[in-house]
Amino acid sequence: MGIKKFIESVKESLGLDEFEKVGKKKSIKRLLEKLRSRKDILDKVPKKKLSKKEKTELKEELAIISLQIKKGEKILDEFN
Amino acid sequence: MLTHSVYKSLFTPIIILLLVGALFFLGLYPDISMILGGIALFLLGMEYMEGGFKAFSGGLLESVLEKFTNNTPKAITTGFLATAIVQSSSLISIIVISFLSAELITLTSAVGVIFGSNIGTTATAWLVSVFGLKIKISVYAMPMIVMGILIPLFLKSNSWKGIASIFIGLGVIFLGIGYMKEGFETLKEGIDLAQYAMAGYTGIFVYVFVGSVATVVIQSSSATMAIIITALATGQIDYANALALAIGANVGTTVTAVLGALKSNENGRRLAVAHFIFNITTGIIAIVFIYQLAELVDYLAVIVGIGIDNYTMKLALFHTIFNIIGVLAVSPFITVLVKFLNTLFVPKGLSKGKPKYLDDSVLALPSTALSAIIMETKHLYENAFDIITHGLNLKKNNLLSSMELDEVTRDLHTHTIDIDSFYNRWIKGLYGEIIDFSTKAQTNMSPEYIEELYKLKLANRDIVEALKDTKHLQKNLLKYTSGRNEHIKEQYNDIRKGLAELLRNINTIATTQEEDVIILLLSKAKIHTERYDIITNGTLDKLIRKGLITNQMATSLMNDSDYAHSISKNLIAMAEVLFIDINSDLKKLHEDMGINDEDVDNMLEKKDK
Repeated sequence: MGIKKFIESVKESLGLDEFEKVGKKKSIKRLLEKLRSRKDILDKVPKKKLSKKEKTELKEELAIISLQIKKGEKILDEFN
Repeated sequence: MLTHSVYKSLFTPIIILLLVGALFFLGLYPDISMILGGIALFLLGMEYMEGGFKAFSGGLLESVLEKFTNNTPKAITTGFLATAIVQSSSLISIIVISFLSAELITLTSAVGVIFGSNIGTTATAWLVSVFGLKIKISVYAMPMIVMGILIPLFLKSNSWKGIASIFIGLGVIFLGIGYMKEGFETLKEGIDLAQYAMAGYTGIFVYVFVGSVATVVIQSSSATMAIIITALATGQIDYANALALAIGANVGTTVTAVLGALKSNENGRRLAVAHFIFNITTGIIAIVFIYQLAELVDYLAVIVGIGIDNYTMKLALFHTIFNIIGVLAVSPFITVLVKFLNTLFVPKGLSKGKPKYLDDSVLALPSTALSAIIMETKHLYENAFDIITHGLNLKKNNLLSSMELDEVTRDLHTHTIDIDSFYNRWIKGLYGEIIDFSTKAQTNMSPEYIEELYKLKLANRDIVEALKDTKHLQKNLLKYTSGRNEHIKEQYNDIRKGLAELLRNINTIATTQEEDVIILLLSKAKIHTERYDIITNGTLDKLIRKGLITNQMATSLMNDSDYAHSISKNLIAMAEVLFIDINSDLKKLHEDMGINDEDVDNMLEKKDK
């Protein structure tokens, strides 16, 4: 067994490559948590009381946050 | 302590001199050769350890120093712990100086850290006296060195490489101590240095002088302390004289501190003065009360369980006690001291167009160099922000308030500015200095840092481009917003409003810590940028078809919308690099989670439906 192959097999058996992945996963989870709680708050805003401009803004914010959540979940799925 | 640049330039000659000395004495006096070789190994080990801890300077060390220095007791404790762990007061002082330069900590906190760091340096004495002499140290040295060599083969990250260097450093230090100890032991069989012991104050002054000179020559008080302790352990020097030598080691660092300050910036010089005052005061107190302190050490030694004849540990205790007493004596005057320091080395003729953070002292560490370039780029943006705001005929105070954007665009300046003139005074030179400094900083950087630096250079270019586009936009903007055609006026005010919204959002991004807010505002900004695509959204067509604007106006509006689009794109790209904290989760995820052009198109399509 060559030295490179030996190093690779040690890395694999100890799961050393996973370190970076785990850190990124944690970061995504934290960010997703924040985005979800922001979405919950926006969902609860009584839309009837809002002006047309405010409604458009709210709709836009919700669309952006939903997209970000979707993207985050997709990355998380790829890690699992 | 503040001698890093001097120490670095003298490090290689000192090591060579020690090795030449070791070789010279090898045949005649192998014991002296062993001591000199031991000192060389000790210094090499310290260098390795410092290098290892530098690997953590990209985040952990800075975070600790930044968060735990907001009052003097905290700053002293942090300085103490950081130096005791890192085993390098010079590394801590480099970070403190660069933090001061970057205005991340106050001078009071920095002085506190430096005081604490003085106590932290006494950890070396404990390390040598507790582990270095009690255990057969070379037994531990080799496995540590082997570990340090093996780790980078399996773990490639910088942190692991840093840990590996720390292992090698500790191993080499242990090896050095082992050699010094052995050298002194065999030397005793030939020459007994103890015969030169001197009693009374004459002995104290002579040995304080010897300790000072040794520290000035070796450029490391830790190495001097290691020699003193090993010499004391083998009975080569008298306990009372060892106490004086330890005081001398502290006094000796002030000479090297002053030498180091000559090459440093004003912050480094102020800290060197603080260090000088501290060490001289501590030295005087220790000399005057040396007998009382020795009694106090005897008393405390019994309490903490150190044997009455364990002179090496008693010396380590003495070293710690007189440094603590120094801190206690000087700390009450820290406010007065800082007031005095602030009057020293005040730079003359600072202007908005001159760099505030680019200083050669921060080049010592890639992380501090990067941090200084980030701060300077923010400075460049602040200048550009003022020019762009005024160039768009918007008032800065209104923009940074919670005033409605319609109102912000209505409140005009009474006079306009010549963007070119401000560009030459506030931007051009500063931009050039940042690029020049970045090139210098790049030489010591790893590929990861170089990538960050490259992004920062692009951010600088984006700022300059945004400013140039504002200049092009300004001419027609002023003309049509003060003209009679309400339709073209409305279009140009819409551009002003859009850019005002963007500048305000960037200001929020720059000041908030909330990552979800940052991601939301950046996404919004990207979507809103498309408002300037007046051909696709039909605005221009409508205005021409209905004959509301002239052909000349249409051409101007089309070109200027392009400029506004380009300003927005550049400022958003800049904000993505500059205002997302380098250590935040978002920095790691932004490339994967940030919205792209395709997302923007999809969202605009949905909006239209």
